[in-house]
Amino acid sequence: MSNENIVLSKDMWEKVDTSLLQSDVIARPSMTYWQDAWRRLKQNKLSMIGLITVIILTSLAVFGPMLSAFEYSDQDLSMSGLPPRFDYYQVGDKQIYLHKEYRLYEVENGEFIQALPKTKEDMMKRQRVYDVDGTPVVVDYSFAAKARKSGDPNAKKFELRVGEEVLQPVGKSFNKTFWFGTDALGRDLYVRVLFGARISLTVALVATVVQFFIGVLYGGVSGYLGGRADNIMMRIVDIIATIPLLLYVILLMVVFGSGLKTIIIAIGSVYWVRMARLVRGQVLSIKEQEYVMAAQTLGASTWRIMVRHLIPNAMGPIIVSLAMTIPNAIFTESFLSFIGLGVSAPMASWGTLASDALGGLRTYAYQLFYPSLFISLTVLAFNFLGDGLRDALDPRLRK
Amino acid sequence: MEKKNDVLLEVKNLKKYFPITHGLFGNKKKYVKAVDDITFSINRGETLGLVGESGCGKSTTGRTLIRLYDVTGGEVIYDGTDISHLNENEMRPFRKKIQMIFQDPYASLNTRMTVGDIIGEPLDIHGLATGEERQKIIWDLLERVGLNKDHANRYPHEFSGGQRQRIGIARALAVSPEFIICDEPISALDVSIQAQVVNMLQDLQEELGLTYLFIAHDLSMVKYISDRIGVMYLGKLVEVADADKLYEDPEHPYSQALLSAIPIPDPDIMKTSERIILEGDVPSPLNPPSGCRFRTRCRYAFDRCASEEPLLRDIGEGHMVACHLMDEKFK
Amino acid sequence: MSQKILDVKNMKTSFYTHVGEVQAVRGVSFSLKKGEALGIVGESGSGKSVTSMSVMQLLQYPGKVKEGEIMFKGDDILKKSKKDMMNIRGDEIAMIFQDPMTSLNPVYKIGDQIMEAIIRHQGLSKAEAREKAIDMLRLVGIPSPEERVDNYPHEFSGGMRQRAMIAIALSCEPDLLIADEPTTALDVTIQAQILELLKELSEKIDTSIILITHDLGVVADVCDRICVMYGGLIMEEGTAEEIFYEPMHPYTMGLLKSIPRMDEESEDQRLIPIPGSPPDMIKPPVGCPFAARCPYTMKVCMEKMPEYSVTETGHRAVCWLNHKDAPEVQVDTGVKRGVK
Repeated sequence: MSNENIVLSKDMWEKVDTSLLQSDVIARPSMTYWQDAWRRLKQNKLSMIGLITVIILTSLAVFGPMLSAFEYSDQDLSMSGLPPRFDYYQVGDKQIYLHKEYRLYEVENGEFIQALPKTKEDMMKRQRVYDVDGTPVVVDYSFAAKARKSGDPNAKKFELRVGEEVLQPVGKSFNKTFWFGTDALGRDLYVRVLFGARISLTVALVATVVQFFIGVLYGGVSGYLGGRADNIMMRIVDIIATIPLLLYVILLMVVFGSGLKTIIIAIGSVYWVRMARLVRGQVLSIKEQEYVMAAQTLGASTWRIMVRHLIPNAMGPIIVSLAMTIPNAIFTESFLSFIGLGVSAPMASWGTLASDALGGLRTYAYQLFYPSLFISLTVLAFNFLGDGLRDALDPRLRK
Repeated sequence: MEKKNDVLLEVKNLKKYFPITHGLFGNKKKYVKAVDDITFSINRGETLGLVGESGCGKSTTGRTLIRLYDVTGGEVIYDGTDISHLNENEMRPFRKKIQMIFQDPYASLNTRMTVGDIIGEPLDIHGLATGEERQKIIWDLLERVGLNKDHANRYPHEFSGGQRQRIGIARALAVSPEFIICDEPISALDVSIQAQVVNMLQDLQEELGLTYLFIAHDLSMVKYISDRIGVMYLGKLVEVADADKLYEDPEHPYSQALLSAIPIPDPDIMKTSERIILEGDVPSPLNPPSGCRFRTRCRYAFDRCASEEPLLRDIGEGHMVACHLMDEKFK
Repeated sequence: MSQKILDVKNMKTSFYTHVGEVQAVRGVSFSLKKGEALGIVGESGSGKSVTSMSVMQLLQYPGKVKEGEIMFKGDDILKKSKKDMMNIRGDEIAMIFQDPMTSLNPVYKIGDQIMEAIIRHQGLSKAEAREKAIDMLRLVGIPSPEERVDNYPHEFSGGMRQRAMIAIALSCEPDLLIADEPTTALDVTIQAQILELLKELSEKIDTSIILITHDLGVVADVCDRICVMYGGLIMEEGTAEEIFYEPMHPYTMGLLKSIPRMDEESEDQRLIPIPGSPPDMIKPPVGCPFAARCPYTMKVCMEKMPEYSVTETGHRAVCWLNHKDAPEVQVDTGVKRGVK
């Protein structure tokens, strides 16, 4: 197929001035590093779920307790041990709920109205009689002992009778007064769990702030100075890193007393170490880059180089590390509170809630469920978010 | 072009050693003698090319001159002042006079800064201009290197290698320097772009009266842009001569081998030329050969080469060679 | 007349990325005779490396040869199974890469890496393979090969590593050796050594070579024929003499004008750069890819891709200037023949 067969019109042979085409015009829109990272983060479904969860959690922590009528420390012993979802019975036009400890409550559309008065207690026959708006209702719990002996988990443990008639549950309802139920002291778990969220997020914030300001600066200076100064600074970091957290917290408790303040001091004084090491490593490699040398040849001061060149380029791993240490900090606080080294009563941390729930675990499983659920969700959410951030901020995966 | 014999930069016995510690407590020190006692000078308005292969110390020389590294020994006299031991504050005014252009267009610009900020940074550091005036200077510089005003708000990653290199040049020009060290500025660029950048450097030199130290390993390009060329081997300067003279009459055996190794884009010449193929590899700079460092690969080596190090001497018209063979030839 | 060992017909390779199809190679045809050395010259984005990777079937995801034939010794290797291809690689077609540090596995001894290919393709025993490996090291000019065969890559210098790469590549006496920028990362004196070696060996073992590079000096030294690529297409193909002394394409001429030559007097030299930059291969230009940077562009160049014009000697170029109806244009060919 040769050139010869193609015949072209005369004007096709006119010369074209290509100088305009050669001018350096950039057609594509400008996208900064952050815009590109955000675009990539958005594509990662799990990370977005994590991010949304974190946002929801934070909103709940801040605004949630306002939605409930109760304070985190309000207790009402008569309302203890109420589950978030329960069976109810109908007696006349009243609905009643039978507590695990064989007390009766009047409920209406899920709301708990009051604990019903007990009119009679028969210890021998293991029966109680309650007055439901004039109607006596018998709670016969004599079956409980036999059920326990037989070992059959489905054996009948009680009977609820009006006269001769054995009542059956007429429906299930969500607890609209205490959305997450109550604990052993009758405190609303919803408010307490969200209060725990506040504590966890406060701890997360402290860890983040400390890491960012102390860790980044320390590591940055250490990496930039290099040589002996770097050596000494890193050895200090090594020493701090080897302190066992538990012993350290106990020591602090002796000095400062227990409570949120102690936890904050403990986490704050230890968590910057990891970030310092990370930033030092980043700075060590970044400072060999030619643009840092260029800044030096321009006469830039050490401060300027750190703040304008080194740290912005290390931001990726810094942010990822922040995102990944937060679940760590939250879990540590929960753990410390769980073993009794954390916040003190009546403050509610997820850890203390879990610890409190252990006692009645068999009967009141929901008391452990909610704090555990929240710990898991929060830790997972931050982990997904951190993973997504790591991929989104990695400059090598760009474009 | 008229060249006054007005020395702008004088380098005397420059040494740059890098310590390597080993031993159990890091107490034993060995030195990589990257630059070991070199002496040369550059006249105002001229371009001195510095060539050599990897490990010869040419890049280290450039970086030591501009005090990115500390000087281990010797003097660096810029326009009459010895800048080799000034502290950072004393050095700062010289940073407006001596600038540098780097090799890697992808690493020499901070990707988090806009092009405008990159070029404007030297203005900020030295307080040379603010506000509108600063903006105007930035735009002028952009246009001078062949880019547009609107490029100032873009980020480095949006530009090609050649364009980035031009941004780097604009940054260096922002302080109105007198002397620019070009550290392999075109090695990472495509062939057709290299000529663009080199031509621009030459035009800028004429326009602004700049003096260049042009460090590269591509001898053809160095010969094109330089007035004089220095050849380095393993931390030493082995020959310094006018660019054309070096090609016509290389005296040092290493220069001869280096020149003959360069392929010329001309099949007839390549088929007929006799190549000097050097045996073996470059020795380690930790343990350079005694006497003349090139003797292990030199086909003319004799006894004196191992026992005595040859010094750079002038064999006529500023042509300097460091080789014992010169004693015989130029008695 | 020696037979054709490789015949590539209208090969097109694209990378299907999330931003679109990057058409790296847009219809490349060339052939190689036994014992011949072909140079493929181009800059970044020209498609030269992708061409060689396509021939070796070593394209990484998301790259794919989407059209064309690659006839190697008469068979279309695009139709071969993975297994067949693995047998061919190393044995009949071998490749050496640019960076010898990353192409050698740092945790295996050099000898083992050479033996791996020998054992796999020639079925020799370990002892026999070791002997052959030592011979190969000697052949590529590594001193004391009996000792060095047990060294690790980091104990070799850059030049020696590249020689070891060549030893691995030639150990099974392949018919075709593809060298992708084999000397770009090396010092110029080492480059001279390696190029001499390649020339010697290709004569000794009668291996055909495809040498991919951006350095016109290197192809002038080593190659019999040269393809000049730009924008995913071959702009010009001819013998080394034809390309350097009778270029038919403005891009070739532009390259010749923009590279400095050692043997020219500095005063006389004027480098004439090619303005602009290479095109974006996601949206390759309609018409000739070089049109935006060419000093002789005509209206037709922007709109239509020209056909190849071929001389009797097989020298071809794809440019509208060579069309019979094209106007007479004074062209600066940039040819400097034996200047000194």
